[in-house]
Amino acid sequence: MTLFRFEEVTKTYGPVTALNNLTLQVPEGAVGLLGPNGSGKTTMIRALLGLIPVDKGSGEILGMDFQRRQLDIRRMVGFAPEDETLFPSVVGVEFVAYAGELVGMSSKDALQRAHETLDYVGLGEARYRKVDSYSTGMKQRLKLASSIVHDPKLLILDEPTNGMDPAGRDDVLELARDLSHNKGMSLLFSSHLLPDVEAVCDYVVVMGAGRVLTQGSIKELKQEHRGRFEVRVKSPDQSHFGRRLAAMGCQTEVREDSLLVEIPPGRSSSLVWELAAAEREQIRYLRPQRSTLEEVFLKAVEQP
Amino acid sequence: MKPIVAFHEVSKWYGNVIGINKLTLDIPAGVTGLLGPNGAGKSTLLQLATGQLYPSQGTVTVLGRRVWNNPGLNHDIGLCPEQDAFYEWMTGWDFVHTSARLGGLGRREAKEAAKRTLDAVGMTKHQNRVVRGYSKGMRQRTKMAQALVHDPQVLFLDEPLTGTDPVARRDLMDIIQRLAGEGRSVLVSSHVLHEVQSLTPNIVLLNHGRLVAEGHVRQIRDLIDKHPHHIVLVSDAYRAIASRVVAWEDVEAVRIMTKEQGVVVETRAPDAFYGRLPELAMSPETPIREVYSDDDNLEAVFKYLVNK
Amino acid sequence: MPIFDQGYQHWNGTLSGHGWRWLAIARRGVQNGMRMRGMRIFLFSAWMPALALSAFLCFWGLLERQSAMIKPFLQVLSFMTPAVLKEPKLYRVEIWTVAYDIFLWIELWYSMVIILLIGPNIISQDLRFNALPLYFSRPLRRIDYFLGKLGVIVGFIALVMVFPAIVAWVLGLLFSLDLTIVRDTFPLIVRGVIYGMIVTVSAGLLVLALSSLSRNSRYVALFWLGIWFLSSVLSTVLEKVEFEQRQHAAFQRSARALRDPEFSQRPIAEQFAERRRMQLEAQRQREALLREQARAAERDWRPVVSYAGNLTRIGGYMTGSYRSWETFARLMPENRRDDFLRTFAGARFPWYWSGGVLLGLCGLSICILNFRVKSLDRLR
Repeated sequence: MTLFRFEEVTKTYGPVTALNNLTLQVPEGAVGLLGPNGSGKTTMIRALLGLIPVDKGSGEILGMDFQRRQLDIRRMVGFAPEDETLFPSVVGVEFVAYAGELVGMSSKDALQRAHETLDYVGLGEARYRKVDSYSTGMKQRLKLASSIVHDPKLLILDEPTNGMDPAGRDDVLELARDLSHNKGMSLLFSSHLLPDVEAVCDYVVVMGAGRVLTQGSIKELKQEHRGRFEVRVKSPDQSHFGRRLAAMGCQTEVREDSLLVEIPPGRSSSLVWELAAAEREQIRYLRPQRSTLEEVFLKAVEQP
Repeated sequence: MKPIVAFHEVSKWYGNVIGINKLTLDIPAGVTGLLGPNGAGKSTLLQLATGQLYPSQGTVTVLGRRVWNNPGLNHDIGLCPEQDAFYEWMTGWDFVHTSARLGGLGRREAKEAAKRTLDAVGMTKHQNRVVRGYSKGMRQRTKMAQALVHDPQVLFLDEPLTGTDPVARRDLMDIIQRLAGEGRSVLVSSHVLHEVQSLTPNIVLLNHGRLVAEGHVRQIRDLIDKHPHHIVLVSDAYRAIASRVVAWEDVEAVRIMTKEQGVVVETRAPDAFYGRLPELAMSPETPIREVYSDDDNLEAVFKYLVNK
Repeated sequence: MPIFDQGYQHWNGTLSGHGWRWLAIARRGVQNGMRMRGMRIFLFSAWMPALALSAFLCFWGLLERQSAMIKPFLQVLSFMTPAVLKEPKLYRVEIWTVAYDIFLWIELWYSMVIILLIGPNIISQDLRFNALPLYFSRPLRRIDYFLGKLGVIVGFIALVMVFPAIVAWVLGLLFSLDLTIVRDTFPLIVRGVIYGMIVTVSAGLLVLALSSLSRNSRYVALFWLGIWFLSSVLSTVLEKVEFEQRQHAAFQRSARALRDPEFSQRPIAEQFAERRRMQLEAQRQREALLREQARAAERDWRPVVSYAGNLTRIGGYMTGSYRSWETFARLMPENRRDDFLRTFAGARFPWYWSGGVLLGLCGLSICILNFRVKSLDRLR
């Protein structure tokens, strides 16, 4: 099932081309949106919200043509923007109810639903206090609650963990993961923090200069390097063990805290254990080497 | 080893509110991460170390000299603050050049230093544009440039990587590593644990204005008695491994992860446990494909110590 | 199912069309406004003139019925011409018109104050806290947003001007127990309500535009005070300057006679007679000056400078109060008529000048709003 689809979409603002013949099809689920500053992410998000007309091209979001059914699209999409957008001296639950009323809910529905979503994001008694007294984590959760109050099919999160301390970040990521995996809401997660994206999303789109540089499921993009392992032994000097491995025919690379080992074809990683037993060494870390999402990103962005 | 930054029984309060509570801390040379939840006192600590605040109690020294009211010390200190406050009408070049001149460099020196620094942070292409038009990443780079331009011995960085895209982040982290390699000392305060983790294993952890832990992450982990170590073994024969391992005396709990084909073992004697692994791995019924520690990292340490 | 899912629930309700969105925005704005400290006290005081109006109309109704209840209060009305008091029914329309004219003028000032209290924050707060994405990422258009914000002003001015006028009318009706009043005064109340709408739209659009100009609501409040007070002051100053000029010219003319150097040579009796004649002449000239002034006022552009003055002029036109004042003036002795009209009847320049100025301001406001509150279709 396609979440949204763009075909040859171009959008320019004067001399600046924000979207350059963008062609993209994205499946439902939790999708990460990555890209350096100025890559067109913000413009694409605004197009997804049905906010901007485009110069050329066509597209559909949740099956609706984004040039014709802009208001309908915004009924089905929830958006938690990056900046703070909270009035002061508004009580938390009123703010969320107002957000619901702005979508078209009746005031009774909006209030009932506001309490439900506030329960879900974990703002208990704090909802009756004014938002000035909230910590950053609470404000982000309030923003999240106000963006899901109308039960959207697609939730767009723009840098949701900006400026949060580790505890708050975990909370928000947990909520995002739950919504997208267990509650049937598709998620578009735009962030610069790659581990966050990895923790929540299954599919990722990397943009640059107004087009798609690479896209795919995270698992496939982070290929496993067959036969290559990262190894760490107990003794602080990794190079000794590394030399012994090299003597056994492995290609080793000594890093500051670990070893990158390539097992010769025909042998398996039991080789490492044998050597450890022989040397009376403890293996503290042994895992196949995988490229991280950061490497995938940098490779995609820095391609000529 | 002489500490770079030394706090001796330092307290700082604002009216009734305590910012730092009887902190005694020696920060060694190299890159050190400063961590803590919101309100822990990280900003207060940085402001005390750079001489912006006067301690209510105790003394603060940097490079062996008193910080307060010592402008000469600023030759050797560089600060990259968290706030995004520039003179928006200046160009990047103006800003860094003016910082260099304010730092005491002569006219020609300042020009060269500014050019060099802007090149180091990758802003040469944009140096003639006004700061108002900069993206967040460019601003962070410029901030870093003004902290480096007078070639300081000690750098204090407060959330240097917020809002930067991965390309800028990689560049800035490379710069920090290079500075450490040149013998300078860097204190990085950040909320983003995995960034600190990739920079350095040496951390200082604050909570409620007090020092909770300092040193190498893994050593700290070893010292946390309350939480047994989690060690993960991945294997096709995970259940066989589980049955073997549960018989060992120092193993406190064994949890099966069916999806990952692994076993999570909790033990308070990790050394003894690791010592027995090679033998276990070489036995034909219980080969071990992967071994790693689930909570040997900064996030786990943070969570355990700060008691979410 | 004994245990219920405490987690996230889906919601299947209906959403209203975007045409109703302004109501949600307006309602929220009014709630916020009512929460301000002192707002309720202020609204209460704004109803005082309404109470006074109602009391007066009721009183007049009783007077028409020659009710015994009001005999002791007749003293209060002794300032009025006895002719009016003898035949109240005849002058009913005029009295009601004049009463409403004064009432609307007072309530206009209350409206200006209310707009000063709630107006500046209306859009400027959204700009300051960057709340526009909150609105525009939801299914509503810019026009709905503006209508909603205007609705806040409509709400408050209706509370201050329109409802009290209607309530006073109904009470006056009840106390005179005469259905012919409906026929006589119905056009008046309709026009009064329309006038309230005009004030709302004009002042509302103006304050919305001002509010969108700055993030700092204090500057907006200052702008509003500027438009309201400063323009009045400027207009008065201009009028006074013009009057002084005319007076000075007239004085110059009469003084020429006195500068005759041979005057003091003449015999005393002749000097006395001459002085007497000149005093009478001066008196006549003063009156001529005032008449000239009154005539000039009919084409004078200076009052148009004052914003509140424009609104008052439109109010005068809507209620048709000049004619009523003229009727009363005719009952007065000849020599006091002009004075009376000048004091009570207000400005006389053509109403369509004011109308033009107000329309122009509305157009300007719409342009400013269009420019300042952009949709999110832009680069940054």
